[in-house]
Amino acid sequence: MQTHHLTLYLLVLVLIVGMVIIALGGGLFGQQQFWLLQWQHQALAHLCHQAADRSFWIGGQPMAVCSRCLGVYSGFAFGWMLLPLAGFWKAYFYRSWLLKKILFATAVINLIDIIGNFAAFWENTLTSRLVLGGLLGIAAAVLFSGVFFNRKKESTGDHYGKLTTTGI
Amino acid sequence: MENSQQREFDNPQRDAGHQPDPSYWMSVTTAGLIFGIIAFVLSLITSYAVINSEPTGSLFSPSQFIGIFACLVGAFGGMLATWHYAREYEDIPIKLGKGALIGFLTGVCITIVSVVLSQVWQFVDPDMTQKMIDSTIANLEAMDMPDAQKQQMIDATVEGLRSNDSIGMQLLWGLPINGILNLITGMIGAKIFGKQEG
Repeated sequence: MQTHHLTLYLLVLVLIVGMVIIALGGGLFGQQQFWLLQWQHQALAHLCHQAADRSFWIGGQPMAVCSRCLGVYSGFAFGWMLLPLAGFWKAYFYRSWLLKKILFATAVINLIDIIGNFAAFWENTLTSRLVLGGLLGIAAAVLFSGVFFNRKKESTGDHYGKLTTTGI
Repeated sequence: MENSQQREFDNPQRDAGHQPDPSYWMSVTTAGLIFGIIAFVLSLITSYAVINSEPTGSLFSPSQFIGIFACLVGAFGGMLATWHYAREYEDIPIKLGKGALIGFLTGVCITIVSVVLSQVWQFVDPDMTQKMIDSTIANLEAMDMPDAQKQQMIDATVEGLRSNDSIGMQLLWGLPINGILNLITGMIGAKIFGKQEG
């Protein structure tokens, strides 16, 4: 399997995994400090409302981000980790415009869910927000399938003997 | 079926040897300025909504709803910057690395603009932070919980609001976090709007 821009891939992997760990909050590490003052909450204070009743709890403390934000971060991290597998199995044959449409659709669905819940048309839950956020994160990561990892094979066609992605 | 992603992978250096790409600083500063101002204005609206709200004792108020959009807006500066760059230089392909760099710098720019504006606002309304603290305390006091726990929560919230108001804290957390998120949205922007990635 061929790789391309591996450094950038690894950099983003480290950064997004770091973001997920920070987002899990101080409860993961058993921090004794009141959760509002923990550095994880301070770091992400400008990114998320951090409402305790809209966040998952871990170790008796709310996470540093709400369930939807947790879904976005963890979904993107999960999708990013799947990119090598997508490259290996050549699961990058979907046209780029379709992946863009899927990303746009998941963003719109999240927006509708936020507005619909706020306008009291329906009531979403921690899990539903996590799932919708996760879909958005995965859709964003999948956009890069076939970019960093790609399985080339020897051409038997026009470029006989050369390594190409299609083998043609 | 050959598609754009496969072509990009096969020919990542096809633009090699061309003259240097034009500067991206105009796109970075434009997007940074726009999103920095938007983030600042939305945080200002949130702050005054808290100040002028009646104490309800609820953990989630309508003002926090505005905060949701404020953070979403702040994270998409990188995407706007790459879109602007792609529009300005239609014939210039945007590599993923360049999209990431444009996004990161935009995140830094957004943080600096919003921090500077926050400090300038201190001259306009020097009592804003204190009013926020007073309003938050009133809301916490209306909560139905044991007094000891309530007092701990009030102390922590006041300390948190005061420390968040300092330039050092805003830059310490704002620069890396905004930088990382906009780095990712910058890459996404390069993928969506760029003529070619890879």
